[in-house]
Amino acid sequence: MKPKIAFFDFTGCEGCQLEVLNFETEILDLLNQVDIVNFREAMTEREDNYEIAFIDGAISTESDVARIKAIRDQAKVLVAIGSCSSLGGVNCLKNFYSMDEVLKIVYGKDAEYYNTIPARPVSAVVPVDYSIAQCPVNRYEFIKVTKALLLGKKPEIPNYPVCVECKLAENVCVFDKGQTCLGPVTRAGCGAICITQGRHCWGCRGLVDEPNTDSEKEILKEHGLTVEDILKKFRIYDGWLEVAK
Amino acid sequence: MINFVDTLIEKKAAEEIVGVKASDSKYIFGKLANAGELCLNYDVTLLPPKKYFLPQRETVFKFKLGDKPSLEPVAEAKSTILIGVHPYDIKAIELCDAVFTTINPDPNYLLKRDKATIIGTDCLSPNPKAFCASLDTATTESGFDLMLTDIGDSYVVAIGTAKGDKLLKKYAKTREATQSELAGRDGQRKKALGEYKVSLNMSPEEIPGLLEVSWGSPVFKEKSEPCLSCGSCVMVCPTCVCFDVQDDVAFTLDKGERYRQWDGCMLVDFAKVATGENFRDDKEKRFRHRMYRKGKYLQERYGKLGCVGCGRCALACLAQIASPAETFNLLKAS
Repeated sequence: MKPKIAFFDFTGCEGCQLEVLNFETEILDLLNQVDIVNFREAMTEREDNYEIAFIDGAISTESDVARIKAIRDQAKVLVAIGSCSSLGGVNCLKNFYSMDEVLKIVYGKDAEYYNTIPARPVSAVVPVDYSIAQCPVNRYEFIKVTKALLLGKKPEIPNYPVCVECKLAENVCVFDKGQTCLGPVTRAGCGAICITQGRHCWGCRGLVDEPNTDSEKEILKEHGLTVEDILKKFRIYDGWLEVAK
Repeated sequence: MINFVDTLIEKKAAEEIVGVKASDSKYIFGKLANAGELCLNYDVTLLPPKKYFLPQRETVFKFKLGDKPSLEPVAEAKSTILIGVHPYDIKAIELCDAVFTTINPDPNYLLKRDKATIIGTDCLSPNPKAFCASLDTATTESGFDLMLTDIGDSYVVAIGTAKGDKLLKKYAKTREATQSELAGRDGQRKKALGEYKVSLNMSPEEIPGLLEVSWGSPVFKEKSEPCLSCGSCVMVCPTCVCFDVQDDVAFTLDKGERYRQWDGCMLVDFAKVATGENFRDDKEKRFRHRMYRKGKYLQERYGKLGCVGCGRCALACLAQIASPAETFNLLKAS
């Protein structure tokens, strides 16, 4: 019997599901190992007897809360994929406004017909077995984690900062170019892709387990950022966390 | 020199001709397309040439699972000529050689090492964090096949091995250096010694003994407070040799490969074991361990100091705490 897996999307752009679908070279190999029983982005049929649930998107309404609880009750293993489900992600930007205000901004005169709650990661509502943040999810990491689950192994998700992968890639440090970067406190696993492509780390994989955010903030200050700039930087993906408040 | 390097490339003197090249505003070791890319007057490269013997990531064996499980060792190497290796990096390679040949010889490292030819060059413009002059690593009399020194209008070449001699005879036009040219080399080296901005306030021989009595020093806690545990210092170090080993299994789940990837003792999980216990669970312990590794442990095991003073760690450290010279000096002063 092949394990049954399901994909569910919450508040987000659904880009993570697209990213999985885009993995054309390995998606067929995946189908040899598992049965996909629920995948809105890819198929019409739906069953609710899955063992592994992959979740993308943040929790941002009361109905999201009820729905994720039901999924947790069914799934033996629940994996958050992408920044929104793992961290709350960009959705948490709204948490810095009042909920009435954001409803008015988005729905105008129809605001009264909608409800919204501060956006949060899945782990703030139900226990999550593994989180693989990244915006969008890193398809190679998704495959790696899936293979580990199929083998009954604990997936290896890096607990060291992006700096490690940046050094392995032999990039010039972003700070040496006169710019700033969240790499020193952000969880690696992306291969330092943004820096390698000439940008800086935005923090989309969330923080490592023991980030020295005080030191990172000091360094950002020394490199010309104000306290407000620094908070804004952290709020892009880590708005749910204390570091951004 | 340009002719020599171009000839090496044109005549395919080795499968890979590698040298120091500009990359953004810094320097790296990389494959040379032509001699014009070579920068011999550089301060330091982002990563040391160690990456040619111990690559950032390397497959060590392939395996098959199932009824008849099997494994096949993987050790690959191309003949490589490395051009422009500074003396401190040569000293670091000599230490790596000791590490990978003592007790448990490492076939992957040794194969690559055996197929490499090292053409060194004296470092005439040290980076602002280097302290090679204090560690006797600014120049070297061993560890190279050829050693070049820029004396202005030409290079003085020292021959280190028969391999180097053969390469030179085959691909370069040379003549015996004159007394004044040799004096010119000595002058260049002496001038470079005066260029170092950082120095140790003790002899290198004193460092292990200093650390012996410094275990409880408050310096480690104070210095390590801003440590990001980002691992930059250990990733760029020419004498760091630690790696992590992991498996990459194919989607068919019946075969795969085991690979190793650089790891480092400044990372939070480095000393974490299967039960969850972490033997160096805070940054002070990790910081101290690194200093002992560089200043004491490797010396005791291999007879060579674990730091060559290249300054890469200090250049890479955003928290500005990584320089072993700084910590050793503080310990000495306290």
